[in-house]
Amino acid sequence: MKASRMMKLLFLLTSLTLLLAACPAAVPAADSGSGADDEMTADFKVGLVTDVGRVNDRSFNQSAWEGVVESAEALGLAEDDIKYIETQDAKDYTDNIQQFIDADYNVIVSVGFALGDATTTAAKENPDVFFIGVDQFQGENIPNLAGLIFNEDHSGYLAGVLAGSLSQTGTIAAVLGTDLVPPVVAFNEGYVAGAQSVNADINVISTYHPGEISQAFVDPEWGAATAKQALDQGADVIFGAGGITGNGALQEIATADGAGETVFCIGVDTDQWNTVPAAQPCLVSSAMKLITPGVVELVTMASDGEFPGGNYFGKADLAPFHDFDDMIPQELKDLLAETKAGLIDGSIDTGYGN
Amino acid sequence: MSKNAPVSVFHRLRKRYGNTMILALLLVVMAILVNLTPLKEQTWLRVLFGISALNFTLRMTVPLVLGALSGILCERSGIINIGIEGMMLAGAFAGFVAKTSTNHWPLAASLIFSVAAAMAVGGLMGAVHALFSIRFRMDQIISGTVIIILALGATSYLYNRDAIAEGKFSSIPIPGLSQIPVIGPILFDNPPITYLALIMVVVVHVGLFYTRWGLRTRAVGEHPRAADTVGINVNLYRYVNTSLGGMLAGLAGAFLVLEAVGQFQEGMTAGRGFISLAAMIFGNWNPFGALAAATLFGYTQALQNELLLAGVTQVPRQFISMLPYVVTIVAVSGLVGRVRPPAAEGKVYETEGSA
Repeated sequence: MKASRMMKLLFLLTSLTLLLAACPAAVPAADSGSGADDEMTADFKVGLVTDVGRVNDRSFNQSAWEGVVESAEALGLAEDDIKYIETQDAKDYTDNIQQFIDADYNVIVSVGFALGDATTTAAKENPDVFFIGVDQFQGENIPNLAGLIFNEDHSGYLAGVLAGSLSQTGTIAAVLGTDLVPPVVAFNEGYVAGAQSVNADINVISTYHPGEISQAFVDPEWGAATAKQALDQGADVIFGAGGITGNGALQEIATADGAGETVFCIGVDTDQWNTVPAAQPCLVSSAMKLITPGVVELVTMASDGEFPGGNYFGKADLAPFHDFDDMIPQELKDLLAETKAGLIDGSIDTGYGN
Repeated sequence: MSKNAPVSVFHRLRKRYGNTMILALLLVVMAILVNLTPLKEQTWLRVLFGISALNFTLRMTVPLVLGALSGILCERSGIINIGIEGMMLAGAFAGFVAKTSTNHWPLAASLIFSVAAAMAVGGLMGAVHALFSIRFRMDQIISGTVIIILALGATSYLYNRDAIAEGKFSSIPIPGLSQIPVIGPILFDNPPITYLALIMVVVVHVGLFYTRWGLRTRAVGEHPRAADTVGINVNLYRYVNTSLGGMLAGLAGAFLVLEAVGQFQEGMTAGRGFISLAAMIFGNWNPFGALAAATLFGYTQALQNELLLAGVTQVPRQFISMLPYVVTIVAVSGLVGRVRPPAAEGKVYETEGSA
C-alpha cells in the first residue's frame, strides 16, 4: 500500500535525524570501547571530552585537542592511544568521562568551565587517573586533578593597552559573553584597567549577553547588533570576547565603515585571525589563552609522574598583529612588551580579584 | 474585498490597536525630543530613547516578527508550528551555502539568489512539517521538535568553517524619508530584508483578513468540518500555508546570515524561533500584534544593553530581561486581554469516510 511505503520513508527520515544528531558522539565512543581491555597497562592513553560542540570548533575544544595530539607525538604514543568524545548535551558530561575511565585511560582532559563539577567528582572517585580540567578553577587541591587556568585579566589588560592606544575617539567597547563565567569578567576588568593605564580619561563601554550560559556564547547576531550599538555611540576599538557571540561582533565591525583604518576589533582566546577569517579587515590582535602548550606541559608531566594537582597557570598573551603589523608604532610594541613583562613579574596589577 | 476596504482597515486597526498606536506615537515624539534637544545629556532619557537603542530594537525585531508571521500563517490554518527555530536555522544555512558558492557573482545577484535559496529551504522544511502533521498524523509538537533537531544536526554536520560569505546587504536609504531627523536614520535607512519584514506584516494582515484566501485559511483553522462542507480543500490549505510559513522563517534565517551577521555560525538562531512563538501568542495570532510584541521584546534587549553601556548598574538587568516573558505570561493567562488560539489548531482533519 502507498501509505505504508510513506510510513517507511517517514521512519527513514526520523532515523536519519537521530543518526545525524548522535553521529559524532557515537563513533569515537564505540572505538574506545574495543581493544582497550586486553592490552592493560603497558601503554599510556589520553582521552579528551569536549564541551558541547565539535572538536574542530577553532576554539577551546580544538586548542585542547591539538595539545593532546602534540603531546602524543612528543611522547611517541600511537594514534590509537588518543581519543576524543564530542559532548552533545550538557547532561552527558559524566557519562562521557566515565567511558574513558572504563577503558583504562591514564589521562583524561575535560574542556571547559562547565565540565568542572563532573571532572572533580570523577577525579575523587578515580585517584589512579590523571585529570586535566581546561578552564576549571580548583577550589580544593585534588592531587590527580590539575585545573589549567589562565590569567585572563593579563591578556585582557594587554588588549586594553592596545585598544586605549589605538583609540582616536576616546571611547572603546567590549562585547562579552555572560558575566556568569568568571574568566569573561576577568577579561573585561583587565581590559578596562589596561585601557585606563594608557589614557586615564578613556570611556570604556562594555556589555554582557543577557541570556544564560547555554545561549550567551552562541548568539552571533546579538554580538553583531551590540557591536553596531557601540559603534553608534562612538566606540572605535571593540573587544569581542564571548565565543561565537564575540565572533559576531568582530564580523560586524569588519564590515563597518572605516574598518581597519579608523575602526578596529580585538578577538579572544585563540588567534582569531585564523579562526574567524571574516574578521580580518578589522582584527588587530587577539587576547589569547595559550591552551595548547598548557595541555602539552600537563600531559608530559603526567607521563613523567610529576603531575601537579590544583591550579596550573597557562600563559596569556596577545596574538600577532598580522597585516596590521606595519600600522602599530614601535613605541606601542615596546609598551606592550614592557607591560607583559610587568604582568608576569607582578609589578603591574590589573586590579582583578582584589 | 469590498470597495471601502481601506477605510474599514483603518477603522478596525484603530479599534483593535488604539493603545498600541498611541504608545508608538509617544515613543516617536520622545525619540525626536531626546535626540534633537539638550535632553540627550540626561543618561536615563538617552538609555530609553537614544538612536542606538532604537536601531538595536528594530534589528532585534526583524527576525522575531518574521518568525511570528511564520507561526501565524501555520497556526491560522490549524497546524502548530514549534519548529520555527529549525526552519530559520535551515534557511540561514541554505542562504550561507548559496552565498558562498556564488561569491564570484555580482553582489546583488548573489545576495538575491541566496535569499531565494533560504526561503526555498525554509519552505521545504515547512512542507516536511506539513507532511508529517497531515499525511502521517504525527503529533505536531513532536514533528516540530524533529524539524529543530534535524536542522541543528544537519547544519552543524555540513557546515564548512573555512567558507566565507563575501559581502552582505547594505543599507538602502529611502530618498526623502531618510532625511527626516531621528526617524529617518532609524526607519528609512535600513537594508532590504528589514523593509521587507515590515511590508510582510501588512501583506499578511491584508491577506488574512481581506482576501478569499485569508478567509478560507481562517475557516480551515477554526472549523475545518464547516470549511470542508462548503468545498474548501482543508489539507491543501494547510500544506500551502505551512510551506509559506516555512518560507518566512527561511527569510528570517536569510536576515541573520545575509543582512545582519554576514556569516553562518552553528546554532546561530539562538532561541529566536521560540521567542517568535511567544511574540505570536502575545500578539494574539495577529500580524500587527506580533509586530508590537516583537518590538517590545527587541526593545527590552536594547534597554539591557543600553543600561550596561551607560554604566547604569543599580537596576539589575536580569529584571529587565524578565519583562517580556512576564508580560507574555500575564497576557497568556488572560489578564491583559484575551488571547485565543485558532480553535482547530493541532487537530488532524480527516474527511468523513476516510477514517
